[in-house]
Amino acid sequence: MSKGVLVDVTRCVGCGSCVVACKMWNDLKYTKEIPAIGKDARLAAENWTVVNKVEVKKGRKSAWRFVKQQCLHCEEPACASACFSRAIQKTGSGPVVYDAKLCVGCRYCMLACPFNIPKYEWDKTFPRVRKCQMCAGRVEKGETPACVGVCPAGALTYGEREDLIRQAREKINGNSGYIKHIYGEKEAGGTSWLYISDVPFEVLGFRTNVTTRPLPGYSESILRLTPAVGLGWGAVLTGLYVYNRRRNEIAREEKGNNKANKRK
Amino acid sequence: MEDQLQLDRKMTRRSFLRMMGGLGLAGLTVSLAGCGASSLAGHAGGEGWLPQQYQVPGTWPAQVRGRVPVEPDNPSIVRDDEKCVLCGQCLEVCKNTQTVFGHYGLPLVDEIVCINCGQCALWCPTAAITERDDTERVWQALQDPGRHVVVQTAPATRVALGEEFGLAPGTWVAGQQVAALKRLGFNAVFDTTFTADLTIMEEATELIKRIKGDLNKPLPQFTSCSPGWVKFCEYFYPELLPHMSSCKSPQQMLGALAKTYYAKKKNINPEKIFSVAVMPCTAKKFEARRPEMNGSGKYWGNKSLRDVDAVLTTRELARMLKQKSINLSKLPEENYDQLLGKSTGGAIIFGATGGVMEAAVRTAYYFITEKEPPANLLTLTPVRGLAGVKEAAVDVPGAGTLKVAVCHGMGNGRQVLEAVRRGNAPWHFIEFMSCPGGCISGGGQPRSAVPPSDEVRLKRIESLYKADARMAWRESHENSEVLALYRDFLKHPMSELAEELLHTGYTDRGKSFKQLKAVEKAKSVV
Repeated sequence: MSKGVLVDVTRCVGCGSCVVACKMWNDLKYTKEIPAIGKDARLAAENWTVVNKVEVKKGRKSAWRFVKQQCLHCEEPACASACFSRAIQKTGSGPVVYDAKLCVGCRYCMLACPFNIPKYEWDKTFPRVRKCQMCAGRVEKGETPACVGVCPAGALTYGEREDLIRQAREKINGNSGYIKHIYGEKEAGGTSWLYISDVPFEVLGFRTNVTTRPLPGYSESILRLTPAVGLGWGAVLTGLYVYNRRRNEIAREEKGNNKANKRK
Repeated sequence: MEDQLQLDRKMTRRSFLRMMGGLGLAGLTVSLAGCGASSLAGHAGGEGWLPQQYQVPGTWPAQVRGRVPVEPDNPSIVRDDEKCVLCGQCLEVCKNTQTVFGHYGLPLVDEIVCINCGQCALWCPTAAITERDDTERVWQALQDPGRHVVVQTAPATRVALGEEFGLAPGTWVAGQQVAALKRLGFNAVFDTTFTADLTIMEEATELIKRIKGDLNKPLPQFTSCSPGWVKFCEYFYPELLPHMSSCKSPQQMLGALAKTYYAKKKNINPEKIFSVAVMPCTAKKFEARRPEMNGSGKYWGNKSLRDVDAVLTTRELARMLKQKSINLSKLPEENYDQLLGKSTGGAIIFGATGGVMEAAVRTAYYFITEKEPPANLLTLTPVRGLAGVKEAAVDVPGAGTLKVAVCHGMGNGRQVLEAVRRGNAPWHFIEFMSCPGGCISGGGQPRSAVPPSDEVRLKRIESLYKADARMAWRESHENSEVLALYRDFLKHPMSELAEELLHTGYTDRGKSFKQLKAVEKAKSVV
């Protein structure tokens, strides 16, 4: 069974406990240039999760919403399918994990990700790709990810993905304030992290034009032709080779015959 | 001899270097191969023999909870994320002692509900949450020769500042504090207790008017000198704001007078005056910034004039003194400057929970009966001490029984407020202090015990009551400088000018957050 986390944007107060917990658990540094909490917060090599402050309009009034961002841990991750060295993999319990020892630094994963999550250590001699690991070690032991355990406002719920979807649906159907959409249920074929909100997701900075088809499917639809193309092209080339060879043979034979005839 | 020769031959320079080189190479090989370093950096203590809570990266504390939200533009407190260890102490005090966090509905509207009390800063064991540092602005004003910099000190700082210099909690350093401020270069050092006496004059007059029905405002009257409490009431009980005394806090009264009464008497251009307040409190920083706190500005017709320009907490003052290498404990005692510097015992006990009430009762008794209060009113034991909610009934000849209540810490405040809301509050006058123990344990006080302990609180309180007992004048209406102020400037309590400079209005902040539903509220109310 695959685990997941449900983020209720309406409950977040922007305290940033999750960010601090992430920094502590993963031994990440704080950088003054790239804040992890607030209006200018963005993901970076050392910011695996950030809490963005978004000022929105609710009716005619302004309102503050805080949005936690991190890897969404797709059910069928494009990054993993793009990784030819198998450095990124989806574990059975949900997290999409990265192994720096296998990474060759091609950064295909960064291009492949529809949510622009993986970041690169551009300033390192031997750089790694960096992103949220959903505390795979903790999840494996049956614990919650570090960020979920410290949320004092009840904005994060950890559990089986199917249960979370059920809970989310109950919540958004039971309260007219919610947008009738669970972000992550279908996006990119479904993600382990799910969001519900009372403000349209695009206003909060979510990418809403993501396909609902699992991304590896796109490349797969073409790449699965590889054997056929390879074999077919081989067959064509072999055919051409055989044909040419035969033609040359015949030509040579005819030449030989002509010479013999002349001699006669 | 033979052996020695052999040994010498063996240890040539070449063989020695070769040996060292070999050892170095071996060492390099071993460390490159990863021997010696723990191969599983994420695990402390090896595989599986330690309790699970220790099998975590080094910076992960054994217990993690969460923390309160602090907006970067909070006027009172700031937080350094790098120091936060998620110990949850700020949550504990904000949620359970002050009943702020978790007592507002979600989603948020467009502010983080915060009463600026700064108790989180006092509880934070790593000092990740601290007061917003205003010392730089004060240094600049002090270095500007064109500025006349005046400073006032709250009653509670004089029993705590010494703790920053190695003195025992509760050590009385009033005189040394004045000397230290003079050495920092302040042009005049005033005492907030002077306006505490003034507050009592105004507040007692207002109370009597309410009781007699001269003022169309409800009873019980609430004290208004704790800005954290005022904001709490504005947030959570806005419908009870008519109960709030219209008196400004002593800090704001002194600020307004420094730029009007003092400026006139001393013939100083009020625009040149920079007014600083040394407070045990972080909420005072917020209060000084409230837009309506420009009584002197209105008086002079210059709206940009603020009554108080900068508020320093006790901790910030200690830092400034240390920057100038001024050792408080070695200083002689000096006196406050005249005009706004005299105080009575009643004003000094403002710093302790119950103190405002006791001072008010002394003066109200005098106002009603025109007689000196009896000895038991000079030691009003029922309102002293650290009980959460305290009550007293005082017989006032000719006016019946005056019933009063005192509470400190907003969790206790809620209980009293709920009683008032339900209409079963028998009291005439209620003192509210935002911080447990009163100002002596305010959010800007030295961190002498983390989390703050009742032991330290009681020592500071005891020191204040001892000072009160030492004073020749113990009732606010006996303050000769206050009487001179009325004679020369304000005329009488609640005069038109007094209303303009010393009284204020309040803001309904009930719409700053979603109200909790009845079910949730039942759970949250203690």
